[in-house]
Amino acid sequence: MSEKGDVLVTVKDLCKNFGVTVALNHVDMEIHRGEIRGLIGENGSGKSTVTSIIAGIQPATSGEMFYKGKPWHPATSLEATQAGIGIIVQEMGTIPSITVAENIFLGNYEKFRVGPIISKRKMIAAAREALEKIGIMDIDPARVTGSYNMEQRKLIEIAKTMANDPEMFVVDETTTALSENGRELLYRLMRRAADDNKAVVFISHDLDEIMDKCDAVTVLRDGNIIGSLDKEAFDPDLIKKMMIGREIQGDYYRSDMDGYENQVVLKAENLTTMRDLLCFDIELHKGEILGIGGLSECGMHTLGRALYGLEDIVSGQVTLQQSGTRITTPEIAFQHGMGYVSKNRDQESLVMNGTIGVNIQSTGYKANRGLGIFISAKKEKQYAQLQVDSLAIKCNGIFQPVSALSGGNKQKVVFGKWLAADADILILDCPTRGVDIGVKAAMYQLINEMKHKGKSIVLISEELPELCGMSDRLIIMRNGEISGEFLRQDGYDNNKLIDCMI
Amino acid sequence: MSAASGMAIQKQSPKLTLADRIDIIKNKRFFPLAFPLAMLAVLVVLFAVLTGGQFLQGSVVKNIFNQSFIVGTMATAVAFIYSTGNIDFSVGNVMGLACVFGALAYEVTESMPVMIAVTLVGGIALMMCNCTLCIACHIKPAMVAIVAMSIYSALCTVLVGADPIRVDYQASKALEGGFRYGTFILYFLVCLILYHRTAIGRKLRFIGGNETCAVQTGINTTKAQIIAFVFAGVGVGLAGVYQTIRTTSVAQTVGSGMGMDVMLATVLGGMSIFGGTKSNVYAGLIGAITVTVLNTGLLMLGVSSTMIQGVRGVIFLLLVFLNSERQKTLPSRQQF
Repeated sequence: MSEKGDVLVTVKDLCKNFGVTVALNHVDMEIHRGEIRGLIGENGSGKSTVTSIIAGIQPATSGEMFYKGKPWHPATSLEATQAGIGIIVQEMGTIPSITVAENIFLGNYEKFRVGPIISKRKMIAAAREALEKIGIMDIDPARVTGSYNMEQRKLIEIAKTMANDPEMFVVDETTTALSENGRELLYRLMRRAADDNKAVVFISHDLDEIMDKCDAVTVLRDGNIIGSLDKEAFDPDLIKKMMIGREIQGDYYRSDMDGYENQVVLKAENLTTMRDLLCFDIELHKGEILGIGGLSECGMHTLGRALYGLEDIVSGQVTLQQSGTRITTPEIAFQHGMGYVSKNRDQESLVMNGTIGVNIQSTGYKANRGLGIFISAKKEKQYAQLQVDSLAIKCNGIFQPVSALSGGNKQKVVFGKWLAADADILILDCPTRGVDIGVKAAMYQLINEMKHKGKSIVLISEELPELCGMSDRLIIMRNGEISGEFLRQDGYDNNKLIDCMI
Repeated sequence: MSAASGMAIQKQSPKLTLADRIDIIKNKRFFPLAFPLAMLAVLVVLFAVLTGGQFLQGSVVKNIFNQSFIVGTMATAVAFIYSTGNIDFSVGNVMGLACVFGALAYEVTESMPVMIAVTLVGGIALMMCNCTLCIACHIKPAMVAIVAMSIYSALCTVLVGADPIRVDYQASKALEGGFRYGTFILYFLVCLILYHRTAIGRKLRFIGGNETCAVQTGINTTKAQIIAFVFAGVGVGLAGVYQTIRTTSVAQTVGSGMGMDVMLATVLGGMSIFGGTKSNVYAGLIGAITVTVLNTGLLMLGVSSTMIQGVRGVIFLLLVFLNSERQKTLPSRQQF
């Protein structure tokens, strides 16, 4: 019988390259039974890579792995699942167009076979059981997965992983997509598994969460294992230092209390959109960081899109106060010095197989003109290179495809694109989502610098600390309406803010 | 487990596999231009050696150019549409119908300039017709192309009838000289400059890379699509003129199947027919020449034309395999 503390998975000298990029550099690691092991590190440090190799999602370039003492070379994630290694991935791991039950038993339909056909009834019953086992009662396994929201889909994915009773499972930055209840549910499952002598690997950017939930933590940086700590040795400053390789100095958020000018630059009046917003009014001032918070379904993301002309407006209007221009399309918004950073970075803010240069230069077709309508290659190169240098984007040059960059560096490219455009009004929808603390700190500093240059920023975020730390004025939304407005000079009271949200 | 020091230990970087190395070379900036040109050069040298120099004779070279002209012009034109990630394979039939319009106009007026003008305008108008369907009805160009193909070829059959419409032989042959080379070089240069040195090509490619992102970067995708179809229309009309003066008559089957040749040429030239930021306008021309070189060379070596079809198919498949970017892991999965 296996004992608590036995080694379940051993990783030896594991390397992984993506082209010239080294994602894992000779990594050695052991995962023990009966513990929740935290994996922490900046974006691009190799956390997801190492776990996805163990779970059979991708092969390693070189190196060895052992599972239960035997050599382990999973060819597919299905093989890993059947052998008892499950993973809940960072991105969407469910297929929207099929039913919940079909997702839960994806690739595993054989056991529901009755003669030549797969019994839907049996599968749905089994799926219901799987959902109830982890304490989810309000999801109907017969419904199409796409009809559920992101969080519910994540819960379905958790049910899918747990349905196989895995010996080891990986939770890869799942909690950012979950609400408080969902998180509690996941924490309980993790703890129960560890108590049952299974192994859990927990990846998160949230240091507090890691320290609270894990029995041990391993820190990665640039594809190297920096070290491991047991619970007794947990120390936030030490872990941070290990993650970034230096001490974080100065202020994380902005510390100044500088105000903004009275001049209104952007105004939405009586704004009603096809979804979420009804008769919404909002004003943005010059040099202001306007924070907008609330629960993810409160309509704040729609508001950001509507301000940039991306939503169908039923009535009301968004106008630039200086020129009186009405913003009805993103083209008009862009031409009048506005910029927008979507919360879905990979899908909406970047051309993934395009180079860093192509992405940054996309805002400068006019600015980079040399003679007449012709674009100057020199100007265009400088346009991108300047941002790569000043933002310290980790890359081999502007001709590297962005798909080879880590999350934080990708977000830097998006920022660079708008910095290069010198946008006067910037709408940032969850700009620090999935970005590690090092890059986060750099982003906050950038936002603050822009403010002091007289730019106006709308900062939409699901993270209260970030909103409180950065905003001059903070608007909390609920059900498509403003439920509270707070000012930096009065100080932000977390309890009051949360009251307005729920 | 003990508390380790905070220092990273940099070991030597892992060995690259052959696949990794190929990947790196494929991602080099000049690869999309260099690879097809190298392939063309290899083919030319190969055939020159195998035919004992006959392949490099003036008449053969001239014939190759003549044959690749029409497909090359169209492939250059359609690159504007391909760049946006859309496929229009009805261009062969568009060209055919434009030829028919031109020939009919010639029958009435007996004037070559009128024929040329009508063919050109016909090409542009028909492409605009495709474009309007795409934009106004929100139908994907590939769908529009399927419908357009059958409508246009039916129209050709009805308008031409059993006997081909003839145009003046002498006048046609006269135009095959300076006029043809002049207009082609002009068109190609204009395309090259507008596509690679102005915002037009960059916008089209950016749309092909990620349309949602393009919209959010303030690019008007409708406007860009119209521009793409207009440029394509000019090229297709021009190709129609070349077709008419080459055969000096227009039959009802004119241009059918040529849409596929254009696609083949584009892929052989090293461009993905799915567009994106690596697109260019010269791939089609290089590809069209490559196809003709291949056909001519194999024919000169005594390979039967049915075999050539097979060889072409295999090469096409191979290139699509080499060119397409496949996901290594789950779609949209952030790799690390």
